[in-house]
Amino acid sequence: MSALDAFGDFGQLAAARARTRVGLEHFGARLAGVDAGCVTLMGSWGRMEVTHGSDADWLLIGPGDVAGVEERLGSAAGTRAIFDAQVDVATLARIGAAEDDTLNQTRRLLLLIESVPVVGPERHRQALRTLLGAYLGHERRDRRPPRFLLNDVVRYWRTMAVEIEGKGDRKWALRHAKLRTSRTVLFAGGLLPLLECHHVGAEEVERLLLARYLEPPVDRLARAFAAYDAMDAGARTFAAYDAFLGLLDDPERRGRLEDLGRDEAATDPVFADARRLGREVQQGLLALLFEREPLRRLVRQYLIF
Amino acid sequence: MPSPRRASHQAAFPGLAFDELRASSRPFSRALLTTHHPLGASTGYMAGARQDWAGLVEAACRVSTFAVELSALAEDELPGLLAFLAGRPRLPFHYLSVHAPTKHRRLPEARLVASLAELPPHVDAVIAHPDLIAEPAAWSPLGRRLVLENMDPRKPTGQRVEDLEALYAVLPEAGFCLDIAHAGAVDESMGLAHELLDAFGARLRQVHLSSLRAGRSSHVPLYRKDELRFGGVLRRCPDVPWILEAPPPPR
Repeated sequence: MSALDAFGDFGQLAAARARTRVGLEHFGARLAGVDAGCVTLMGSWGRMEVTHGSDADWLLIGPGDVAGVEERLGSAAGTRAIFDAQVDVATLARIGAAEDDTLNQTRRLLLLIESVPVVGPERHRQALRTLLGAYLGHERRDRRPPRFLLNDVVRYWRTMAVEIEGKGDRKWALRHAKLRTSRTVLFAGGLLPLLECHHVGAEEVERLLLARYLEPPVDRLARAFAAYDAMDAGARTFAAYDAFLGLLDDPERRGRLEDLGRDEAATDPVFADARRLGREVQQGLLALLFEREPLRRLVRQYLIF
Repeated sequence: MPSPRRASHQAAFPGLAFDELRASSRPFSRALLTTHHPLGASTGYMAGARQDWAGLVEAACRVSTFAVELSALAEDELPGLLAFLAGRPRLPFHYLSVHAPTKHRRLPEARLVASLAELPPHVDAVIAHPDLIAEPAAWSPLGRRLVLENMDPRKPTGQRVEDLEALYAVLPEAGFCLDIAHAGAVDESMGLAHELLDAFGARLRQVHLSSLRAGRSSHVPLYRKDELRFGGVLRRCPDVPWILEAPPPPR
């Protein structure tokens, strides 16, 4: 059972989850005999939304044979700077320090809010607990969304949005479409559990966040749409997101988005479809955040300043 | 000295009474139009400026720059609208729908649909009246952009769930436009509006919002009594554009 089930049947999401599970087993088998410790996958794998053309971006968390992992899982071209590498949790947990650059921040946030273990689920859980501890160390208060982590989640979202402009024209349309959909879902899925902390006492915050962040982001959204009495808007949001996954899983339409530059996108029907679906996803989330109590108050209290 | 930190065994103070807050903190009926986003105007009520598309857009922008419905209600208005949009005007809207012709229809259905399919890709929705769809399959080229609107009681069909279900069976990608005044005219209790949302809520793309002049089907600014009557239905539509089919009420 997933929190999403209450909103209807979403064929693309269901297929993507099934594909992800099979793929995780496949990767796990490939790592047999390697000292892999904890290997996690990020991106669409971390969201349990693998489609045609999804990259398998991995991180080896803590000690292990990184060369052996790379030999078995490969390394996707162009992502090496962030992914397909060995990281230690202590470095990731140096939050806000001078060495906490975009690379470190990206790895940390993806590990926390968009990762799934291939091997080493207990180490993965412990890594998340360590990161949460670093954020919450001095900030555990009743009925208060933790601002330190909230600010970092917001900062990461803004970083993603800004970086798109710096990456040039290549794959612009695909990146832009993902920003409006899967990246938006990721951001909201990082944010809503933090706002949910408004409902709990200080001693429950870490447990709540850990439980939520171990779920796929779409399930976190489903919980919120249900909890805040927005079932209709939730069903439409997931229907639009489901349609977007269908678009991504269609090699022809995905290929079209990959080939489109910024100037051609404005008049392209495939990009127009993706933009429309993105607007519907964002409309649903904005309605949840701004037209449902007490989220509207929480957004006002915490999201701007 | 007592510790400045609260003992860990002390229970947390209660949070906001969630259900009570949800029900009472937002006086929905009073804040209906001023708080919803996105809101937009239909150019259909701007009768004095027919065919002056730039002027109509300017007038619509005075209501909202976020959403709009450009209405080519008479078939002879459609070529002008197509030409206007083909000129790539600098429109500020995030959501743009076009109302398909409902009056003075002369073109064969397939030809009309072919013209509507020429609308540029940034047109999000093409609103159509079900009672004017004789051959549903002919509308399939519009795909997900086709949006069916529920009808008022004077029309021969298109008011009820079963009327629309038959069309969606042939047009599975099509969306739904809830005309709340039409639904309220068929069933004053608003039960039909809820049934339509129960059946087609996942397809909902926009709402038509207005009141109807008593005894007629013409759209007029939303009456206060209708703000109250429609509130429960509109609460189920917080995420989609609400398109005003009459001038905003003066309040």
